[in-house]
Amino acid sequence: MAYLELSGLTKRYRDSVAVDGLSLSVERGESVALLGPSGCGKTTTLRMLAGLVEPNEGVIALDGAEITRTAAHRRNMGYVFQSYALFPHLDVARNIGFGLEERGVARAEREQRVEDALQLVRLQGLGHRRPRELSGGQQQRVALARALVIRPSVLLLDESLSNLDAKLRDAMRHEIREIQRSLAITTLFVTHDQVEALTMCDRIAVMNRGRIAQIGSATDIYERPATRFVATFVGRANMLPAERGADGRLTLWGEALPAAAPSGGEVDVFVRPQRLKLAPAGEPAGADMARVSGHVLNSVFVGDHIEVIVAGPGGQRLTVEIQSGDAPPPDGAEVAVMWRAQDTLVFPREAA
Amino acid sequence: MTRQPRLAWLLAPATLFLVLVYVWPTLGLFRIAFNEVGPTGAMIEAWSLATWRHVFADSFTFELTLNSIWLSLTSTFLALLLSYPVSLFLFRTESRFRSLLAVIAIMPMLVSSVVRVFGWLAILGDRGLINSLLQSLGVISAPVRMVYNWTGVTIGLAESIMPYMILALLAGFGRLDRTLEEAARSLGAPPWRTFLRVTLPLSLPAIALAFGLGFILSMSAYITPKLLGGGRVFVLATEIFEQATTNTNWPVAAVLAVYTLALLLGLLALSNLFSRRLQT
Amino acid sequence: MRTRRVVIQAGLAALAAPSVLRAQTISGSITLMAYAGIFQDNYTRTVVEPFQRAFPNVKVNYAPGGTSAQMVGNIRAQKADPQVDVAIMDVTTSTIGNVEGLFDKITAAEAPSLDELYADARQVGGDFGPAVTFDHLVLVYDTQAVKPPIARLADLWRPDLKGAIALAAPPNIQGLALTAMVAKMEGGDYKQSIDPAIKKLRELAPSVQTFEPNPDGYSLIVNGVVKVATGWNARAQLFSDETKGKIGVLLPPEGSVFQINTINLTAGSKNRAAAVAFINYALSQAAQKAFTERMFYAPTNGKAAIDPAAIARTAAGAESRNRMIPLNWNDIIKVRDQWNNRWRREVIAAGR
Repeated sequence: MAYLELSGLTKRYRDSVAVDGLSLSVERGESVALLGPSGCGKTTTLRMLAGLVEPNEGVIALDGAEITRTAAHRRNMGYVFQSYALFPHLDVARNIGFGLEERGVARAEREQRVEDALQLVRLQGLGHRRPRELSGGQQQRVALARALVIRPSVLLLDESLSNLDAKLRDAMRHEIREIQRSLAITTLFVTHDQVEALTMCDRIAVMNRGRIAQIGSATDIYERPATRFVATFVGRANMLPAERGADGRLTLWGEALPAAAPSGGEVDVFVRPQRLKLAPAGEPAGADMARVSGHVLNSVFVGDHIEVIVAGPGGQRLTVEIQSGDAPPPDGAEVAVMWRAQDTLVFPREAA
Repeated sequence: MTRQPRLAWLLAPATLFLVLVYVWPTLGLFRIAFNEVGPTGAMIEAWSLATWRHVFADSFTFELTLNSIWLSLTSTFLALLLSYPVSLFLFRTESRFRSLLAVIAIMPMLVSSVVRVFGWLAILGDRGLINSLLQSLGVISAPVRMVYNWTGVTIGLAESIMPYMILALLAGFGRLDRTLEEAARSLGAPPWRTFLRVTLPLSLPAIALAFGLGFILSMSAYITPKLLGGGRVFVLATEIFEQATTNTNWPVAAVLAVYTLALLLGLLALSNLFSRRLQT
Repeated sequence: MRTRRVVIQAGLAALAAPSVLRAQTISGSITLMAYAGIFQDNYTRTVVEPFQRAFPNVKVNYAPGGTSAQMVGNIRAQKADPQVDVAIMDVTTSTIGNVEGLFDKITAAEAPSLDELYADARQVGGDFGPAVTFDHLVLVYDTQAVKPPIARLADLWRPDLKGAIALAAPPNIQGLALTAMVAKMEGGDYKQSIDPAIKKLRELAPSVQTFEPNPDGYSLIVNGVVKVATGWNARAQLFSDETKGKIGVLLPPEGSVFQINTINLTAGSKNRAAAVAFINYALSQAAQKAFTERMFYAPTNGKAAIDPAAIARTAAGAESRNRMIPLNWNDIIKVRDQWNNRWRREVIAAGR
């Protein structure tokens, strides 16, 4: 049994289901991201873990003991809120020491641990400031220190970086990841930002409509999305309807695809834009390569790459990413688009 | 800068209105406070401090002051104890009936205080609801006196200021963030500790605001002490009323009114100082 | 021709009867300020309306005042521009108006009814407005609940009335009157000392439910809140009739005190002639008879021929008059503050 086990967790509200039979195992010291669009139930899951929301069904077990109905204050979870939730009437040191006071930690030890925590988040000397006298990034660190200082069984981070500007977010991402690794603390990280999920966690659970759509390493999720939702939510994607040839094989834009077709039903073909290559029209495909022909509609310079939009005979479009150093073909040029057969994924078409 | 004079003109009607209905009568009150009273009660125009000396030489004035402050403190405190949970609930509830509940909570404001007082007489009187109930249950053999004394006035006054205090609390709860309480709980604080360490300190500005308002309203209330006091509860407000409308002694009433006004302003300044300290 | 003769005859008749002539020549409107409610209803019917029939060109506006003190306050506030022409109020407050110059003197030359008044009714106002009604303090009680019925002032101290008494304490003039009555009951005289009265009243205090009956003692008895109260005879008599005897009225054999209402002419009245005419009418035999028979205020006009049954219910009968304590309200006003203080500190304090 894993260190933290969620099984069949369900939370229903008056007219909606926020979390729908969710199960998840997290090993000790592991860092798992709950990634999904807003409203997918990821925050509710985190709140159920913290004891702030009571599940309708399901079981939460920590280190072999069930804690499903344990009161929040008896769970020893370190929760970092999206808004940081620092106590405005207490200074930084008392904010951080709050949990220690509640645990009856003696004053001398408490002060030492608060000092250590301040050092850990690099806020030495700011202990007597009030939260509102700190910058957003500093407040974020205080919130983190306050959650860590109680040596929580699990660290819960709720969209904790979303209120920071892009540059600060990058820095904090690495900092948190480092702290998490050095303390080997079991962490659950709720985010809607895939970069955060991909860079900060050992495993990612992609959530959709109250369920986990896929769980796995960053590579798994990115390279081998299990569902159409995961494929489109994580990373950029081309998703085009495929036809079936007379022999039952799949074709795209009239050309055969070297991809296995699931039996029956309509299917879509998925391939990431950066896996596509442009070639002069008429160039034959190599072994184990897929190939379609079309003409360039236009090219968009995005900074680190250029997006070339290629239209097929039926008017459908593919986005091809080329390096920004390369010159895109002129608009209207006939081109071939090629990619490795292994980069092709096929998903049954879903009802919208 | 060029906009300033125009803005002043916009304020002119309101200023004029205030001067007419508030400043002018108050000045009149000040004027009367320096008149004298003849032996048969006739008012003698004068610029004299005789009435002031008379009022402040009378130890009863001191007694009235203590009574007013004590009554206001107790009834405001009672009202606070009752309003605080109500306001906290209204502030937090996600019920779709929230606005309806809020309106119900402040409804008594819409009822004349005279009507409310007679309601209390019907509930607390010797033959009122509570006494009848307790007697029929055999808990007591003779009625317990709950009106026509301090108890009745305190209860009635507390009830009459509750709606105002609820509104003041709701207005003052600005900084009270549910997430902060969740943070406290996640850090290991049981509910009552969360209340003591987070909810209560953060609602102190609201409490100070509501308490100040309730106190001022209690200090100036005269209908409730008069109707529920049974002639036993003497406070500044009832004494002013009595002097003006029974004794026809306007100078004494004016001196007491000016004194009460000064007392209130002083207490208001104190509470301002106190709540400003709370804010920082 | 015929018309002219009628006119001449009418003119001759008018010359022959000066009062009729005056009734024709006096015109305009006056404002009478007096008590509201039941007093207003009855006074309008028995005095104001007959006056208007006698003086068809005069319109009397009845402005209901509050207490006497409020009325004199009103007139004081209008001193620069009087809106009231005639005011009826308690003698303690009209005296204030007389001293402050709010009221004018009235002579028998302009108001002949003055000469018909009892000597004490005339003396009350000096040269200013005389007494227009006499009333006296009574005990009112619940005839159904007080058994045996109370028969004397001393019965207030009966143990069965404990907690069932309503007294109007000073500065209300009922309380002042009661003090004088108790002083006499105790064998003393209020002019010498009220110590015995205060001592006796202290013993009564614990039996008193309210020292400030609201809206009045009669209503509290009707509603069953108290069993005995102090009251004024006229209103008590009306309440007794209205409640078909539930309210009993007792003129204590130990003696009672007259309450005197005076009728006053406002200084600077804009229609002095009509105002004086009204005062003259109000003091006349007809008006005094009608009002006494209607509302049981004792008349101040000694020549009024009043139904003996009505007289019996006032203090105007010889027997009742003998029981009255000769009380000079002007003296009482001078000691009002002092009595008031003794009640508060000694009597009411003993009845907490």
